[in-house]
Amino acid sequence: MLSRRTRIALAVLVVASLTFVILDLRGGEGPLSSARSAVSAVTGLLQRGAATVFSPVTSAGDWWSTWRNQAGQIAELRAENRELERAVRESASDRARADALDELLRVATAGRYRVLPAEVIAVGPAQDYAWTVTIDAGSLDGIEREMTVINGQGLVGRVLKVNQTTSTVVLLVDASAAVGGRVATTEEIGIVAGTGRQDSLDFQLLDPLAELVIGDSLVTFGSRGGRPYAPGVPIGEVVDITGTAGQLTRVATVRPFVDVSQLSIVGVVVRPPREDPRDSVLPPREEQQGQDEQQGQDEQAGDEANNDDANDDVNNEDANNDDDANNDDANVDDGASTEENTP
Amino acid sequence: MIVRQGLVIGIPLLLASIIQVTLLSRLGLPGATPDLLVVTVVAVALAMGPVQGAFAGFLAGAIIDVSPPSDTVVGVNSIVYLAIGFVAGYVVDNRDRTVFGMIVIVGLSCAAASLGTAIVDSILGSPRVLWDSVPLITLSSALYGALLAPVVVPLMEWLTKKLAPEVLLEG
Repeated sequence: MLSRRTRIALAVLVVASLTFVILDLRGGEGPLSSARSAVSAVTGLLQRGAATVFSPVTSAGDWWSTWRNQAGQIAELRAENRELERAVRESASDRARADALDELLRVATAGRYRVLPAEVIAVGPAQDYAWTVTIDAGSLDGIEREMTVINGQGLVGRVLKVNQTTSTVVLLVDASAAVGGRVATTEEIGIVAGTGRQDSLDFQLLDPLAELVIGDSLVTFGSRGGRPYAPGVPIGEVVDITGTAGQLTRVATVRPFVDVSQLSIVGVVVRPPREDPRDSVLPPREEQQGQDEQQGQDEQAGDEANNDDANDDVNNEDANNDDDANNDDANVDDGASTEENTP
Repeated sequence: MIVRQGLVIGIPLLLASIIQVTLLSRLGLPGATPDLLVVTVVAVALAMGPVQGAFAGFLAGAIIDVSPPSDTVVGVNSIVYLAIGFVAGYVVDNRDRTVFGMIVIVGLSCAAASLGTAIVDSILGSPRVLWDSVPLITLSSALYGALLAPVVVPLMEWLTKKLAPEVLLEG
């Protein structure tokens, strides 16, 4: 049987336990609650320290259970990454193509040309000195000989030979090419001829006395029936004039709008416009300059109105209207310039 | 046997012409377009001999002249390349052939090709030849040819050894 000491010790412990129970059940502040909070503060600290020490071990269990999942996830993400990289690469070239098509569409719409888009697929070697390219559209697509070829910048050339699915285009800069050109501002006509160099064309005015200044833009005069050259297609800009007015050999150097070393998307004019689009197809840069000039004149007019008839209400209103119009113009200009900067 | 030799010569030339107009001429390199076709012609001449070289030159010229986007007089390139193929096969002694010699002969052939076509074209009255850019075109063509030679010449030799060993010149 239990010894006497043991029985006493048990009885004391039981009583102590019961005392704790009773004290705790009674609630409220007491010696027990303060002892409890003191002890729990210490054990809490110990628990936190232990948790920090053991955390790698406990999380290892977690890591282990998801190991297979992660391997799968990595493979999945890698595949996704490859896919995205490919999409990014392609989107750059897609965007370039879309921009080229947009430009072409703008020109075709402005000039009311019905165009068939095509892509340059081959270029003749430079040592042939011939500027000819192959495009991926042929007689099956409705291409015929002597059709005009344009792109978003202006005149590219004309169709020389047609196969079933491809055609050969001779570019405007080829030494054998010549097109009737018209000066956009003065309506003077002349002949633009290729030189074989990609950045210059020769322009000879039919009227040797006609006025011509550097910076003038040229558009096509238009052939009979729109072939080989449709009317109104931008050709280039006069950058140099040799000879003086009246001289028979007065030749202007024209920088073509089209960069032949960067040709990709072109449009074949399958039906020329019913009416000559005149200068409406010229690049926006030129239009913008025109607007700027007009705007300047408007401002001057407005200023004059203000100075002369400062007290006259009617004139003041006019001046205000002018200002409004100017603001509108400015907004349009901003839009155009941002569009230009975007690509 | 003749047919097989013709194919061993013709198919590489066809591939070379396609690569030349769709890729090399679109790279926009300064000066000439790398003349892969002439390099291939010379490679044939070095691997098989002057007659096969001349045939390859004729074929190469015909291919480039009739296939789009060419607008030159058909036959000009044939004459020039034929001469180059024959001469390249004739002057090179196979017993003392070196890599350097091979590069030099290909470079010279490319220069001769661009110069030769320019001369024949202007004799025939072509308005296109720009004489002031002929030197640049000729030199750059020689340079590009010399760069292509170490790839194309061994490849052609290997093809000949595999497919038409009876005509391979022993080096």
